Amino acid sequence: MKMVPAKVEHEGRWVPTKVGIAEDRFRIEAPVDREIPYRSVVDLEEKKNQIIVAVGGDGETVYQIASVEKVLTVLKKFIITQASAYRLNAFFMSPAIRGGVLIQDARWEKGAIAVMKTGIWFVSQEKQVCIPLDEVASIELTSREIQGKDLDVVKIDHLVENEVVTSFVLCPLTTLQVLYNFLKEATSDTEVSEDLDPMTGQVAMLVYSGMDSSAIENMLKLSHRDLDTIYDKLISTGMAEVLYVRKEVQLTPKGVRYISESLKSPME
Amino acid sequence: MGRILIVDDTMFMRTLLKNILFSGGHDIVGEAADGAEAVAKYQELKPDLVTMDIVMPKVNGIEALKAIRATDPSAKVIMCTAVGQEQMVKLAVKSGAKGYIVKPFQAPKVLEEVKNVLSA
Repeated sequence: MKMVPAKVEHEGRWVPTKVGIAEDRFRIEAPVDREIPYRSVVDLEEKKNQIIVAVGGDGETVYQIASVEKVLTVLKKFIITQASAYRLNAFFMSPAIRGGVLIQDARWEKGAIAVMKTGIWFVSQEKQVCIPLDEVASIELTSREIQGKDLDVVKIDHLVENEVVTSFVLCPLTTLQVLYNFLKEATSDTEVSEDLDPMTGQVAMLVYSGMDSSAIENMLKLSHRDLDTIYDKLISTGMAEVLYVRKEVQLTPKGVRYISESLKSPME
Repeated sequence: MGRILIVDDTMFMRTLLKNILFSGGHDIVGEAADGAEAVAKYQELKPDLVTMDIVMPKVNGIEALKAIRATDPSAKVIMCTAVGQEQMVKLAVKSGAKGYIVKPFQAPKVLEEVKNVLSA
């Protein structure tokens, strides 16, 4: 087993240790001192320079491991390909569209997909892409022209640092249907059941496009109060959240005095 | 920064694009609501770039793109397609489109694509 330096989160703090990586398991040295078969892993999440591994069994145990990218890449690959997850071989294209702009050099990659508790992982020789389930905006079974044929694909819209990114998965139709159903179920809490009136729909579209309140008011000729009412509708349906509250102020006598004095000519 | 002609049959999308492009420092030299008007406005205004909706009444975006490129082979046109119409992109590529935006879109990415096409 090859040992590499890493840090683990232990009793609320990060502790330097070593992690051993083998073909079928990994080991975290003291103070954790635990050997973990990849097949016992039930979830994998990633953050910058760290991974969070949930291991099943009697009670779920979570390990947070920080290391250099090269080490984490190897560890992630073993976990994704052997963990206890719904897994299938597929072609994927991720990202295919970013913020509404088609990525011109996007191409289909052959690899595996693992659907874990909190996210979907795409793994190929060159890439490891994770889509957290709580960042999935929509899932659609659609068709796409591939090498001159219309083939069924699953289209996944998801958020990456506030950008809407679209990814596609291609595999045999029966597997695709299973994947689609699974993802639909896993993301059912963001299912849209409400129907918005046209004006609220337009406001939602403008927010999606990155317009701020004053641009929206100008474009749709809305007052500040009208826009606030529409925002409240979007918030109450769970489609939007408050980013920050804009203030409107008026000057106090002190402020008025400052302005008046600042405009006096030096001769006065 | 470029002089841009916006072509879309819905005023809402034209206004949205106009706001996005204006915020990026571009000049909006004209707007057209269908392909025929787009071709006429292109000849008249000679913009640096056109954003062209695909599905429009009278003359559609692909036909307008072909007509514009027939008179000006160096014309820079970014096509706008709705989600699910990505197949139209291949046709647009063959017809000389330089970029593609899928509706709904986000402002920073639109500005990035416009910048790429203008500097190409």
